[in-house]
Amino acid sequence: MKALALAASILLGTGALFAHHSFAAEYDGTKPVTVTGTVAKVDWTNPHIHFYVDVTDEAGVVTQWKFEGYPPNMLVRQGWKRDVTMRPGDVVTVFGWRARTDPNLGASREVTFANGSKLASGPPAGTGGQ
Amino acid sequence: MIRRTGVTVAAGMLISVLTAAALAQTLPPRKEGGKPAGSRPARSVPRAADGRPDLSGIWITGALQLLIGDAEAAAIRQADAAAGRQPLPRPEPPPYKPEAEARRQAYVARRGIDDPMARCFLSGVPRITTRPLPFQILQMRGQVVLLYEAHHAFRVIPTDGRPHPDDIEPSFLGDSVARWEGNTLVVDVIGFNEKTWLAGVGTIHSDKLHVTERYTRDSYETIRYEVTMDDPEVFTRPWHQVEILRLRPNERLREYECIENNEDLLRFENLLQTDPALKDAPRR
Repeated sequence: MKALALAASILLGTGALFAHHSFAAEYDGTKPVTVTGTVAKVDWTNPHIHFYVDVTDEAGVVTQWKFEGYPPNMLVRQGWKRDVTMRPGDVVTVFGWRARTDPNLGASREVTFANGSKLASGPPAGTGGQ
Repeated sequence: MIRRTGVTVAAGMLISVLTAAALAQTLPPRKEGGKPAGSRPARSVPRAADGRPDLSGIWITGALQLLIGDAEAAAIRQADAAAGRQPLPRPEPPPYKPEAEARRQAYVARRGIDDPMARCFLSGVPRITTRPLPFQILQMRGQVVLLYEAHHAFRVIPTDGRPHPDDIEPSFLGDSVARWEGNTLVVDVIGFNEKTWLAGVGTIHSDKLHVTERYTRDSYETIRYEVTMDDPEVFTRPWHQVEILRLRPNERLREYECIENNEDLLRFENLLQTDPALKDAPRR
């Protein structure tokens, strides 16, 4: 256990490269989440974008999820275009990891669009790179 | 109790890294931007009018995967291998004195929530170099100018032999002067405040920090970036790091205004009040 902790400490404590903050500060990399729903809103802002997805369960109850993503500059370098790639009304599937406290907040990693295409939307868990 | 919690968190994070590494194999290529520098035909190192290597250009380093995506990062690694470029050595851990290491571990136990960068403070040297955002080098007669997309920060670095000024105020980026040693630009940086971390979570330093950066353009596409951090207050010996800077010929600097919508500030305050691991972890 000590060896594992030491390895994680070196990997994350000094070697990690962040754009903004540590992943672990807010999110739990052991709790992946995938949701499908309709985009309600996109905040294309620094230091992260946020987008809101309305998810309807089997009983018809709608829950709004909020996801954090890369900052705009990193997204455009990976193929995103503001107001084009993701717009309100689009149906998307989002893969990411749950926040530690807020039950409907997540760190997004990948978005799958209605046509089946996929784009990275945020960093891997543990690298903390947002 | 605190130690067990830290181990659990650390183990969980390590698992996350491994999971993410597996996931990274499935992500798509990026759609626009420059091609990997290594895929271009070999070109000689450009020279300035004075015969020195010309470092001018837009460069990236650090977390390639975050900046340009998984596929292109993998292509760059393949190009490195094809060119016979040796992989960088495993980063050496910071040689902290026991008291400083205890402070670093306290920050790690708090999961990096105290990171000055997460509060949009200007990153210092060398951390600003390894942010996954590009920067531009403008080399001209008597000075080198570094323009960073992160925080739209800049460094104007004299290369005309002048010493550090005698009225330095402690600052995030410190005061830089440079000289040429053969084909290497050596930048001497002092005059730091104590408000930045050097490389990752908890990599603290004092205002006695003395950084030496060495920029060597070892190919058309790359600069070997070697940095030595010396701080007798916190280190038992100087801390060395090596990175490769990659030329991005089709890139341009964009605005990055960190504080625009930094919701993390509010979330951090909430976590500090409600998360047991953070409430119990000592704040140093």
